[in-house]
Amino acid sequence: MRRRAFLLSLAGLGCSRSKDRRLNVLNWSEYVAPETIPDFEREFGVKVRYGVYESAEEMLARVMSGNSGWDVVFPPNYFIRPMVELGLLAPLDHSQLPGAGVLDPRFQSPPWDVGLRYAIPYMWGATGILYQSTLDPAPQAWADLWKPSFSGRITMLDDPAEVIGACLKKLGYALNSEDSLQLSRAQAEAERQKPMLRAYVNEIVRDQLVAGELLAAQVWRSTAMRAMEAADGKLRFVYPREGYPLYADNIAILRESKRTRLAHSFINYLMRPAVAARIALTKLESTCNAPARALLPASMRNNVTLYPPEETLARGEWFQPLSANAQRLRDRIWTAIKSA
Amino acid sequence: MNRLRIWCLTPAGALLGGLFLIPLGITLAYSLMTRGPYGGVFSPFTWENYSRLADPLYAAILWRSALYAVTATTICLFMGFPLALFIARSGRRRNLYLSLVIVPFWTSFLVRTYAWMFLLRDTGLINSMLLAAGVIHQPLTLLYTPFAVILGLVYGYLPFMVLPIFATLERLDKSLVEASADLGAAPRATLRHVIIPLARPGIMAGSILVFISSLGAYLTPDLLGGGKTIMIGNLVQNQFTSARDWPFGAALSLILMLVVMGMLLPLRRQSGGML
Repeated sequence: MRRRAFLLSLAGLGCSRSKDRRLNVLNWSEYVAPETIPDFEREFGVKVRYGVYESAEEMLARVMSGNSGWDVVFPPNYFIRPMVELGLLAPLDHSQLPGAGVLDPRFQSPPWDVGLRYAIPYMWGATGILYQSTLDPAPQAWADLWKPSFSGRITMLDDPAEVIGACLKKLGYALNSEDSLQLSRAQAEAERQKPMLRAYVNEIVRDQLVAGELLAAQVWRSTAMRAMEAADGKLRFVYPREGYPLYADNIAILRESKRTRLAHSFINYLMRPAVAARIALTKLESTCNAPARALLPASMRNNVTLYPPEETLARGEWFQPLSANAQRLRDRIWTAIKSA
Repeated sequence: MNRLRIWCLTPAGALLGGLFLIPLGITLAYSLMTRGPYGGVFSPFTWENYSRLADPLYAAILWRSALYAVTATTICLFMGFPLALFIARSGRRRNLYLSLVIVPFWTSFLVRTYAWMFLLRDTGLINSMLLAAGVIHQPLTLLYTPFAVILGLVYGYLPFMVLPIFATLERLDKSLVEASADLGAAPRATLRHVIIPLARPGIMAGSILVFISSLGAYLTPDLLGGGKTIMIGNLVQNQFTSARDWPFGAALSLILMLVVMGMLLPLRRQSGGML
């Protein structure tokens, strides 16, 4: 009996020692370059346990308990405030983050986290329309996705915030509207559009656009970039005229983490321009890191889809967290659209 | 002897308690709580999640799901019974045919559903072959239709129909069939008056299994239906993901369980203890 207890305590010691030298990173799937993590492990002499999630809701559900065992997560901008309110995020210690000055001016003190108290912006994205370049006239606005001539050959995203958001922007309202009258008008727009849609789909739409089965689709820009790369000039992306959603993923440390020093080192490492540039290059996304962008090949650095000019950016609107009532109302609307 | 019995039952009992009763209790508790602003559950306790179900929107979704499930079950029955009969009578090859029915389970249902997407899409195998053969000149819209949803459900759950029917047919006393023939019944009459009544427990069990699985399906309507039809499974799933309303999702799934149980209790006896 005693011997067993002794062995158990030894095993326990072994565990806690290796735990201290291990960082637990929970990230979106395919959101670093292949060598990002191995290089970090080698340089800092640590092990990284790397987990992935497919949606921000999944990430939140996994870390909500407060003893999930993860240290670093990558929440989207509209999850920062909720996660702070739930007590899930640890405040950043900027004395340990000398690299934070490299951020693009737009992300030095973003509206969702003024002063970067809880998270460092990582990559940003947007939603727009991807269409066949042979279309004449080319779609320029959300309203074009209601054209009868596209009937049966367009898709929208399978995501309530995106579909309701596009309808709200088409009507000239705010993306994050909580006004019940505006939302019911948006619902009517969506229900009018539904018979013309082939489907509500997310990333899978890429192949169908590349194969020419669809004329146009509401897409996340990350999907658009990969589709355009595969389609060899046959597809084009547009930031819709009425305005469009913007989102940014951020690096944050969980309050439960016992390895905050190592976690800060990891954030610093990810902010190194060379590391951030490699990630941006592999993932075809827009980096929030100014010198990293400068390191990219000219074709990417000057790509207007990845880095649109000021006047295009000005039409974008950041997703924001919604009140509980608005979320419930929007879910009722989404259910009604889907069952119409 | 008694001790041995207890030992044998312990693992199953622990599994049932740990993996069924406790989660069911948690679901019940969640369904009576208040939604947290960003997911999760909070006190106070409330009936509100159940009163929200009075909204006719949700009844319509349940009704539509039931229609899809009944259609899929009927098709599975008409395809599954002849197949089960064939396998039961195929002598030495029986095990080979049975394993062919089970082989699809070796790969994940998700992967097989994706495979159907590649078969059904405009530039997919079916359309390409029909176009090449000159049967059609425009690709048929197969994917993202109610037809594709039913196809996916039938494909996915057909083995659940075949296996229980096969089990009853295999046990069936062959002398009864021979007696029927000796007494001058035509094969069709034997089938109708002897085989089908004797296979009834398997037919009931298979139908119930296919019906329940189809009713709760959420992958198939999403991937093959293109998210244009919402079934009750999708509604529950949405509450735990985009809507982040766990209590309402819990209430929905409990009501679904109650509805299914209410329908099954009268049928249970007819399945002859197979369920």
